[in-house]
Amino acid sequence: MSGATLERRLANYRAAIRATAGTAPVGRAGDRRDGGVARGSIELGQRLADALEGELVLDPAGPVVRVEPATVVLPIDRERLAALPGMPAAGVPLVCLDTETTGLATAAGTVAFLVGLGWWEDDRFRQVQLLLPDHPAEPGLLARLAAHIPPDAWLVTYNGRGFDWPLLVARYRMARMPAPAHMGHLDLLPFVRRVFRHRMTNARLQTVETELLGTARHGDVDGWQIPGLYLDFLRGGDAWPLIDVVRHNREDVRSLARLLVRIDADYADPEARGRQPLGDLAGLARSFGRVGRLDEALACLEAAVTGADRRPAIGASAPTPDRRAVAEVAAVLEPAADPADDGTGLPWWHPRRPPDVGGQGPRPSWERVVDGRLDSPWTVERVEIERGRMLRRLGRYDEAQAAWLNLAAGPGAIAVQAWIEVAKLREHRLADPGGALDATSRAMAIAERRRRTGLGDPIVDRALEHRLGRLRTRIRGATASQPRRQAVTRSTAIATEPPPPRQSVASP
Amino acid sequence: MRTYAPATTDAVLRAILADEPSLARGVTHHAVIPARVAEYRDHPEWLDPRIRAGLASRGIERLYTHQAEAIEAVRAGRDVVVVTPTASGKTLCYALPALQAIAEDPAARALFLFPTKALGQDQATEFAELSQAAGLTVSAATYDGDTPAPIRSAIRGAGQVVVTNPDMLHSAILPHHTKWFQLFEQLRVIVIDELHTYRGVFGSHVANVIRRLLRLCAHYGSKPVIVCCSATIANPAELAATLTGRTPILVDRNGAPSGERHVLLVEPPLTHAATGARGSNLTLAHRWAMPFLRAGRQTVVFGRSRTAVEIMLSTLREALRQDLGPRSRIRGYRGGYLPTERRAIERGLRDGEILGVVATNALELGVDIGRLDVSILAGYPGSVAATWQQIGRAGRRGGTSVAILVASAAPVDRYVVHHPEFLIGGAAEEARLDPDNLHVLIAHLRCATFELPFEPGEVFGPGVADDLLAFIAESGHIRQAEDGRWYWSSENFPASEVSLRTAAPENVVIIDTTPDRPRVLGEVDLFSAQVLVHERAIYMHDSVQYYVDRLEWHERKAYVHRVDVDHYTYANRAVTLKPLDVFAEAAAPGGRRVHGEVMVASLVTLFKKLKFGTDENVGWGPIDLPELELQTTAYWLTAEDLAGSWRRNDLDVALMGAGRAIQTVASVLLMGDPHDLGLVTQVRSPHHEAPTIYLYEATPGGLGLSVRLWERHDELIAAAAALIRDCGCEAGCPACTGPRLEPDVDARALALRLLAELSTASPVPA
Repeated sequence: MSGATLERRLANYRAAIRATAGTAPVGRAGDRRDGGVARGSIELGQRLADALEGELVLDPAGPVVRVEPATVVLPIDRERLAALPGMPAAGVPLVCLDTETTGLATAAGTVAFLVGLGWWEDDRFRQVQLLLPDHPAEPGLLARLAAHIPPDAWLVTYNGRGFDWPLLVARYRMARMPAPAHMGHLDLLPFVRRVFRHRMTNARLQTVETELLGTARHGDVDGWQIPGLYLDFLRGGDAWPLIDVVRHNREDVRSLARLLVRIDADYADPEARGRQPLGDLAGLARSFGRVGRLDEALACLEAAVTGADRRPAIGASAPTPDRRAVAEVAAVLEPAADPADDGTGLPWWHPRRPPDVGGQGPRPSWERVVDGRLDSPWTVERVEIERGRMLRRLGRYDEAQAAWLNLAAGPGAIAVQAWIEVAKLREHRLADPGGALDATSRAMAIAERRRRTGLGDPIVDRALEHRLGRLRTRIRGATASQPRRQAVTRSTAIATEPPPPRQSVASP
Repeated sequence: MRTYAPATTDAVLRAILADEPSLARGVTHHAVIPARVAEYRDHPEWLDPRIRAGLASRGIERLYTHQAEAIEAVRAGRDVVVVTPTASGKTLCYALPALQAIAEDPAARALFLFPTKALGQDQATEFAELSQAAGLTVSAATYDGDTPAPIRSAIRGAGQVVVTNPDMLHSAILPHHTKWFQLFEQLRVIVIDELHTYRGVFGSHVANVIRRLLRLCAHYGSKPVIVCCSATIANPAELAATLTGRTPILVDRNGAPSGERHVLLVEPPLTHAATGARGSNLTLAHRWAMPFLRAGRQTVVFGRSRTAVEIMLSTLREALRQDLGPRSRIRGYRGGYLPTERRAIERGLRDGEILGVVATNALELGVDIGRLDVSILAGYPGSVAATWQQIGRAGRRGGTSVAILVASAAPVDRYVVHHPEFLIGGAAEEARLDPDNLHVLIAHLRCATFELPFEPGEVFGPGVADDLLAFIAESGHIRQAEDGRWYWSSENFPASEVSLRTAAPENVVIIDTTPDRPRVLGEVDLFSAQVLVHERAIYMHDSVQYYVDRLEWHERKAYVHRVDVDHYTYANRAVTLKPLDVFAEAAAPGGRRVHGEVMVASLVTLFKKLKFGTDENVGWGPIDLPELELQTTAYWLTAEDLAGSWRRNDLDVALMGAGRAIQTVASVLLMGDPHDLGLVTQVRSPHHEAPTIYLYEATPGGLGLSVRLWERHDELIAAAAALIRDCGCEAGCPACTGPRLEPDVDARALALRLLAELSTASPVPA
C-alpha cells in the first residue's frame, strides 16, 4: 500500500480504536516527546551513573553502569556449610546473583536491566551491580557479567533456577554470545521451602528476611513497580526513581548472603542445630534423607525430639485429639492432597506450584492463611513418625518398631496410625503376619473407640478393613499346606470373630 | 425394498431411481465420476533405504505420482502445496521429506501445524508408526495446551518433529524462541495441513504468525521448506502464497486410484409454492439412507448439527427396528462422545462391524475410518472443500460408491444443488484472507518486536515496517533506540493480548453460568455481539442453545445459561453506511462497480423470536445497546442509468431482492460464512445519487473479500440471476430474494428484471 494510503488508514485505525475501546491505549503518549530522537546509550548511561553514584564503564561491546555498594562483614565457615546437603564444597567460589527485569515472562522480550552480584573476599561480602543504560548496550552488560563469573564458581540465587538464570541464558542467546560457564547452581528457594515452610507465610525473599533473618526494609520499592520505573527512564523519564530499584536489588543480594550465613551458623553445626525449632530440624532431616544421608537425617530427628521440651515449639499448639489432627497425621502417612489451600490444589511449598517470589501484587490466596502458617504444624508426634520411618529406611526395624510402639501408646489418631505402621513393619519386614494381624486389630480397636465418640475417619477405617482382610488371607494361605480340615476350622474361627460394627449408635 | 437381501451399491441406486419416484423426482443432478487407475512412480533413488523398507513393510512398494512429485520438489528445496482428495495418501507427501531429513541428519527438525489439537494428535501417532516401521528412532511429539510441563521442556530440547497448532505456535513457541533454539536452528520442514481452513480472520492471523516464524528462522539461520496440504479449492497456490509469503509449486495431479462414484444433488419437494417452503432435508436424507442400509451397504450420514445427528440417528434406528433390521449396527459420532467410544466406532467402521454412522463434521477431517459405500450429506456443509471431504468418506477402490447431497432450506444450499458445475465441475470457490489487514498486522508487529528487535528498514509483510512501528511507538509499547532498532519496551506480554480467532481488538467474552464453576464459552467481536448476545438472545454454540441473561456492555461480558427451546432469535440491525474512500472503480452495465472503504454505523433496537424450521415469528423484544461504528472495506454497485425507468417502490424491492441473492452467491464463491458480508441497499445513495447495493465486510478493516467481489462482478450478477431464476418459488422466498415483506409484490420478477438490466449494456425497455 502506498504511503499516503497507509497514513490515512492509520489515522482511521487510531480513530477506530478510540471509538471502540473507550479507554486510552496503555502508555503515555507524552513520553516520547523528548524530541522524538532517541537518546544515546552513553548519554543515558551517564545520567544513570550520576543519579546512582555509579561509574559508566565503556566496555567494547557497549556501555554499562557499574555501582559498587559498600562491603559488609559477613563471616561464613565454608567447611562447615559444605557438610549440609546440596551445599558447595569449601573451595568453590560463590557468586550471589539477582536480576531486575522488564517483565515477569521469561520470554524473548523481557530484558534483565539490572544484575546484582556478590561474593566473599575472606570475611567480607563484596557487591557489584551492573545496569543497562539502553537496549542496544545489552552485549556490554552481558560481557561484564560473564567476566564476574569464574568458570569454577557456583551461582547462589533465590529462585534463580526457574527465573533469573534461564532469562539471562535467553539474553545471551539473543545477543549470540555464549552464556557464562559455571560449575554449579545453589538455588536457596528449595532449601527454604523444605526447612522453613512450616513457619513461613510464603516463600518470598522479603518474607525470609522478616521471618527468618529478623531484618526489615524501610521504604522498599514493590517488585511489580520495578519494570515501569526502568521503562519510564528509557522513555525519557528521570533516573532518580531507579535509586530505589538499585537499593532493592542490593538488599536482595545481601539477603542471599545473610541467609547462607544463617544456614551455616545455625544448621550446619550439629551443636547449634539442636537449638533450632523442631520443624526446621524435621525439614532438614528431609533434606538429608533426599540425598540418602539417612544417619544424619535420623540425628536431626532425634535432636528435634530430645530438644523438644526445652524449646518453645513453634506451631505445635494445635489441639491434639480432634479431626484436624487426624487429617494431618493421615496426610503425613499417606500422601494425599492438602485440602486447605487455594484453587490450584497445591500448598505453597509444593514443588509443582509456581513459587511466589514477589513481583506481582499480593495474591489473594495468601490472605486465607490462618495463624500465619500454611503447612500443618510439626508436632513432636509428627517428628516421631518421621523418625520411625527413617529407622525403617535404615533397616533398623526393631528400633523402628519400638518408635512406633512408643507412639502407639499416645493419643487416639496417632496411635491408630502407629499401629498401622507396626503392622506394616511386622508384615513386610519382620515376617510376622500374626503380629501384624494383632497390630491391625489393635488399630481397629482404637479406631472403633474413636468412631464411637464421633472422631472416626472413614478412609482410615476402610484401609484397616482391607488390611485385616489381606492379612487373614495371607495367614490362611500360609496354613493351607496343613490338613484341609484344620485350615477350614481355623478360618471359620477367624470368621466368627465379631466384625466391627459399621456404624456406632450413641445412646445417651 | 423391504427386504434385507444384500445388494451392491450400484444395484440399490438403480433400484431407487427406477422404483422410487418420490425419491427420484427430487434429484436435480446426477453425475457419474468414472473410476481411475492408480499412477505410480518408483521410490526416488535418494530415499533412505530404511524408509523404503519401512514403506514396504506397510505395503507401499511404490509411490503415487503426486506423492513422488511433492517429495521431489521438497528435495529440490522448493515449497509445495499438495491438493488431492480425501484418503489419497497426503500424509506421505510431508512425512517422507521430514523422515528423510532426520534420517540424513538426526539434528534436523520439522514442525507440523494442524488447525486443531485432535487432528495434530492423530497425525503425530501416524507419523510415529511410520518412523517406527522405518526403524528410525524419531521423537515426534505434540506440543499443545494438553502437554504436561515436564514433557514440554523435553520436547523443546529433543523433539525432532514438533506437532502443534497455530495458536500454540503464536503464544507459546515464538515468544519463547530462545528456549526452542534447537528447533529454530535446525528447522528443515514446516508442514501446514488443512490449508483451506486458514481463511478469513483466522487465516489472516496465521499468515502473520508464519511471517514471525520465518523471521525467527532467518535469525537462527535456518531455511525451512514449507509443505502445504489442502482440500480442493479454486486457489490453493494463491492461498498458500498469501499465507506463507512465498511461491510454492502446485501438485494437484492425483495419482491415487478410485472407483466409480455417483454424486447426486437432491432437494426436498416443494410443499407450498407461494412461500417456497419445502420438506425437511433430514427426513429426505433418512429416506435415502434406508435402502442402502437394508442392502448392507456401509453408509455415513452427515448432519450439520448435533441435534440433527441425534434426530436422524433415532429415526434411522426406529425405522430399522420396525423392519427387524440391524439396528444396533447404526452409531452416532459427534463431538461430546468420549474418545474411547469414538475409537471403537472408527474401528467398527474399518472392520465392517458397524454398518451405518450418523456424524457431524467431527468425522470429516483426518479420522481414519477406511472407506464406506455411501455418503449422505444432510445439508451443504458450507464449502465445496468440506463437501468433498465428506463425499470422500465413501469411495471403495474396487466398486461403485454413492454420495448424495440433500439441500436444506438455506439459500446457499439451494444455489448449490441447482448449480452442479459449481460443485462438480472444478471448484469455483476461493479461500480469501488478508494478512495485511491493519488490525491484524499491527497486533503481530507488536508480537514480532517482542520476539526480536526490528532493524531499521526491515521488511515485515507488505513492506518496510518502520512507519507502522513508529505508529505503535505512540502508545509507548515499543521504542526506537539510538542504533535505529525498534525494541519492545513494555512489561506486557503481547502474544497474550492477541487471539488468532478474532480480528477486533476488543471482544465480548461469553460466560456460561450453567455449570457450578462458570466457564468461558467463547468470544465474539463487538459488532457481532450486538446481534448475537444481546439480552434475551438465544446464542448457539456448538449447536447448543444458550439464553443470554445479562450483557455487561462496558465490561464486555455476556452471561448465558443452557436452554433447549424450539426457536432462535434474530436481531434487526439498522445499518447506515457512508463511503469514505474509493480504491478502485469501473464502469459496469447500468452503472458502476466500486471497491472502497466505508464506515458502517450499526444500531440494534429489537429482536424477533423465530421458530426453527418454519421461521415463524413467535415474539419480539427491544434491545438497548449503543451504536457501533465499523470501518471496513466494501464492494458496491450503482445503477444510475436505470433510476429513471423504475418506480421507486419497485426499485426498493428489486434492490433488496437482488442484493440478497448477490450476498448468497458471494458467500458461496468466496467460501465464507454468510455473516462475513453485510448488505445495505439504498434507492438513492447520498454519495452516488443513484440506486446502490453495498456489500461490506463484517471484519474491521476487511479481509480482501470485497476486492475479489469487485473483480468478479459480472459473475456475481449472472449467478444471482440464476439463483433466483432456478428457485421454485412464485414471487420470491427466503431462499432467493429474502423473506417477503409485502405480500402483493413480486420480488422475484423485480429482482430478475434489475439483474437483467445490470448484466446488459443498455436498459431493458420496461
